[in-house]
Amino acid sequence: MSKKNVAVSLILAGTVLLSACGSNNDTSSSPATPESAAPTESTAGMKLEILSGNVGGKTPEGNTKFAQAISDKTGLDVTLDKPASDYDQKVLTALSSGAKYDLIEVSDLAKLDAFFNQGVVTDLTDFVQSSKVLSDPAVIPTGEWDQLKGPDGKIYGVFSKFQGATMPIVRKDWLNKLNLQEPKTLDELYTILKAFKEEDPDGNGQADTYGLSTSGLYDIQGIMSSAGLKYRYVMEDGKRTIPYATDAAIPMYEWFAKLVKEGIMDPNFITNDTAKMRNLFLTDRVGMVTYWDAWVGMFNNLKKQEDANTAFQAAGMVSLEAADGTIIMRRGDPDFWIIPANAPHPEAAKKFLEFWNTEDGIILGSLGVQDLDYIVDSNGYSLTETGKEANMDHGVPYWYNSTVKPLFPALPGVEEAMALSKQYATLELSLSTWPDAEKIVTNYALKAMAGQMPAKDAVEQMQKELKAANLID
Amino acid sequence: MDIERLERRGWRNRTFDVLNAAFLILLMLTMIIPFANVVALAFSSGMASMKPEIILFPKDFSIEGFSTVWNSLDLRRPFMNSVIVTVSGTILHVLLSSLAGFVLIQPHLPGKKFMISFVLLTMMIPQDAIMIPLYLVNKDLHLINTLSSLVLSGMISGFSILLMRNFFLSVPYEMCESAQIDGLGMFRIFTTIYMRLAKTGVATIMLFEFVSRWNMLSAPVLFINDSSKITLQVALKSMITDASATSSNLLITTNVRMAGILISIIPLLAVYPFIQRYFMKGLMLGANKE
Amino acid sequence: MRMIKKNSIFYVMMFPVIIYFALFAYYPLVKGLQTSFQDYKLMGERPYIGFDNYNQVLHDPSFWDALWNTLYIGGGILIFGFIAPLILALSLNEVMKSWFKKTAQLVLYVPHLLSWVVIGGIFIFLLSPDSGLVNLLLIKIFGIQPINFMAEETWARMIMIGSAVWKDMGYNCILFLAGIAGISPTLYEAARMDEATRWQQVHYVTLPQLMNTMKVILLLNTLGIFRIFDQIFVMRNPAIASKVDVLMVYTFQKGIMEIRIGPAAAASFFVVLFTLLLTSVVRKMTRFDEV
Repeated sequence: MSKKNVAVSLILAGTVLLSACGSNNDTSSSPATPESAAPTESTAGMKLEILSGNVGGKTPEGNTKFAQAISDKTGLDVTLDKPASDYDQKVLTALSSGAKYDLIEVSDLAKLDAFFNQGVVTDLTDFVQSSKVLSDPAVIPTGEWDQLKGPDGKIYGVFSKFQGATMPIVRKDWLNKLNLQEPKTLDELYTILKAFKEEDPDGNGQADTYGLSTSGLYDIQGIMSSAGLKYRYVMEDGKRTIPYATDAAIPMYEWFAKLVKEGIMDPNFITNDTAKMRNLFLTDRVGMVTYWDAWVGMFNNLKKQEDANTAFQAAGMVSLEAADGTIIMRRGDPDFWIIPANAPHPEAAKKFLEFWNTEDGIILGSLGVQDLDYIVDSNGYSLTETGKEANMDHGVPYWYNSTVKPLFPALPGVEEAMALSKQYATLELSLSTWPDAEKIVTNYALKAMAGQMPAKDAVEQMQKELKAANLID
Repeated sequence: MDIERLERRGWRNRTFDVLNAAFLILLMLTMIIPFANVVALAFSSGMASMKPEIILFPKDFSIEGFSTVWNSLDLRRPFMNSVIVTVSGTILHVLLSSLAGFVLIQPHLPGKKFMISFVLLTMMIPQDAIMIPLYLVNKDLHLINTLSSLVLSGMISGFSILLMRNFFLSVPYEMCESAQIDGLGMFRIFTTIYMRLAKTGVATIMLFEFVSRWNMLSAPVLFINDSSKITLQVALKSMITDASATSSNLLITTNVRMAGILISIIPLLAVYPFIQRYFMKGLMLGANKE
Repeated sequence: MRMIKKNSIFYVMMFPVIIYFALFAYYPLVKGLQTSFQDYKLMGERPYIGFDNYNQVLHDPSFWDALWNTLYIGGGILIFGFIAPLILALSLNEVMKSWFKKTAQLVLYVPHLLSWVVIGGIFIFLLSPDSGLVNLLLIKIFGIQPINFMAEETWARMIMIGSAVWKDMGYNCILFLAGIAGISPTLYEAARMDEATRWQQVHYVTLPQLMNTMKVILLLNTLGIFRIFDQIFVMRNPAIASKVDVLMVYTFQKGIMEIRIGPAAAASFFVVLFTLLLTSVVRKMTRFDEV
């Protein structure tokens, strides 16, 4: 009886609504035609609508002021939408419902790939190459543009900031205290981590410290480097391989399993989010974590703010060297702007993109809004309370443009760390099948590391499942 | 009944009462601990709040978390918006859902089963699946960037309709019939008899709806861009979201985050006793024994 | 016809509801259904591709894992999430002291106010192998090795079920309490006249009188089991993902993270279909319509 009813209701609802459906103008499914902006000389007064995830003020009002500041500096009429959460959902909804934005901030390359395949992005090659600002290698090093190229070799985005790399970050003061050197090999690393665990580096008389803590698999890149293994996909002779799922990874997982078994590794490494890992590091509970280069400075600065005489000293460390001398570090996906195909004011967007990479734009993106986040007087620049809380990060903590010098000295340790990133870090290859592959790899890798199953079996399982699902060749 | 049996029963009753209370207290403890943890973290200093050892008591007592939230956000406007959306949305929700619930208790109403199915089916729709079309509906009705879109979002729910229907079912239908004979219109019967007798039910739905509306997050994020129209939850969320996924420099200390959470639920805790009065009354009536 | 005229007032009362659902539920639903048959691109042409999206989903092993996880975890939450609040309501109902009852209700309702982000975080903390309260107790009392609850597949699902039941127990208990409040006091008086013990009163008055409420709650909870999302999203980790990722996590990953909107829509319609089937069964079993 009830089944019949449900069926009836479905049919009725369907028919009622199909009529509504027919009359609905399908703007969403017809190809979006951008209102071709007349090639006017001046963009003054033109509207510019931005959807951003990181760029902008820290609060709703701060955000309005931020948009106003862009308007003032570019002569455009700017609205800046910065959703408080669910950014991915917002972007998706906006794009597919035909909402019009001139600029959208994107922070991962897999998205760029998807946007390319789904007709979202517009070709910016000509714009970038003819732009005085953007084509200048001092503003953005020429090689960097490769990151933002589509499969057809054209440029589809413009950088929003400089993206760093992740690396092992070690307690330099603990090393010094225990008379240890920065490790170069896996065995040295083991000795050091063991010492962090057992020799009471924080001097509180309790064995409450760990050698190493991580959060997620990509954080172990600095250590996996010693076996020459790079995370995600690597193409070998046109074939997709996943180094973390090869036999060469077995001894590495065994090494981690040993750390876990001996209590040297934080046993929460599987459930840790990055915040927890950071907090352990900041509270003297662990001697080494793997995290962003920018955070070396943050760690040192935070501890200094708490206690000016702190012994705490974090330092970025180069990844372990493989037998053949290679060093693998993980570069973060770039943070960049795209101009969607349905952007009503692409010219205004382009004007913004140039502005964003000049000194004024960079000051806005880092320090924030004048008089709100910082003030300028006879003594030069100084940060307000609001500005201090924002930590000189309004979407652009670091930038490419080498002609723009930071107005404040870099936080301790960060320059050295960033130098390492620039020298060694490379992007990971994220193919569209990666999300499915990642599930399999992380699942077994973590099990092997936690000692829940032998590393050999784990890798075998990985390979079997990856092959079966046609995720590797 | 002989005295001995009565005494035995009294003794058994007391044992039961003690065990029962112990059970409840134990359960309450499990619920107090997380809450106390949030409070303790909120009242700790920034650095201390990041240490794992804080469980029940704040360390390095400080209201720095609250002052950070307070100084960086002008909460008046978002608070008012939240109140407007929550109050008007809840009233409409309770009224319309009750009305539908009332219709669905009518015996021999042609099409009733269809209507029940119609209502039930709406509850099976996953929000993710209809997010984009829902946005389009709001856009076509020019509701984007209006508080109305938030009032309309979830203005009626199958959940509440079915619950109200259930509460109305416990009112003897003869009352409806005799009121009809007295010449009362159906609408009057609904307001004067049913809404009044099912007061407990109304209070329950009201509480449920109030809470979920107050905590509503995804609708305002999707439908509102204008910073003068955002709700309290969104304002707080914008402040306490930690962009830890990228190499961002931003650090939001745990105390600030917890302070934000506390600020957002205090109004709910404040409203609760008022609504509770209604079902306590009902409860006392129902359970007034021994 | 006369029937319809006589009842016209009811249709008028129902009118806003019908319109509202047509506009804000059924229309988007039909549009979503349309999407599931399209090669849905964010911009540009969106050609119809028949059942390709459905085929893709059906041939994805992680979809089937997700379905099984949903049934396991959702089923667990359905059963225990029904029993626990009922016991709690009965227990609260036996409390005579008004202040205690009030406080207990307030306290029991607090976890529902906190979002899963907070509760999930606290659970992960409480269950942590080195500093978690649970392991500390286990080690003290039983002297066993600490258990890494959140990282072991054997525990993962139980923890999801347990924490979900715990979080909403006090809240759902309100529904039962409201149901109990609706029971006519005369029934209890009659029972006491017959010298019924408290247990007998529960057994012969409260429970039978609560039957309708129980049916409704069972039905409503059934509708919810395919929608579990926030909790899993917060508490999952890669080591247990294959045992706890439910259907909504699957559609989120497909749709929002991988931007494959067509397959995600198809997966959502499987969710609708499964809910429909399950609800029909429950509706029939509880004879819901005959109430």
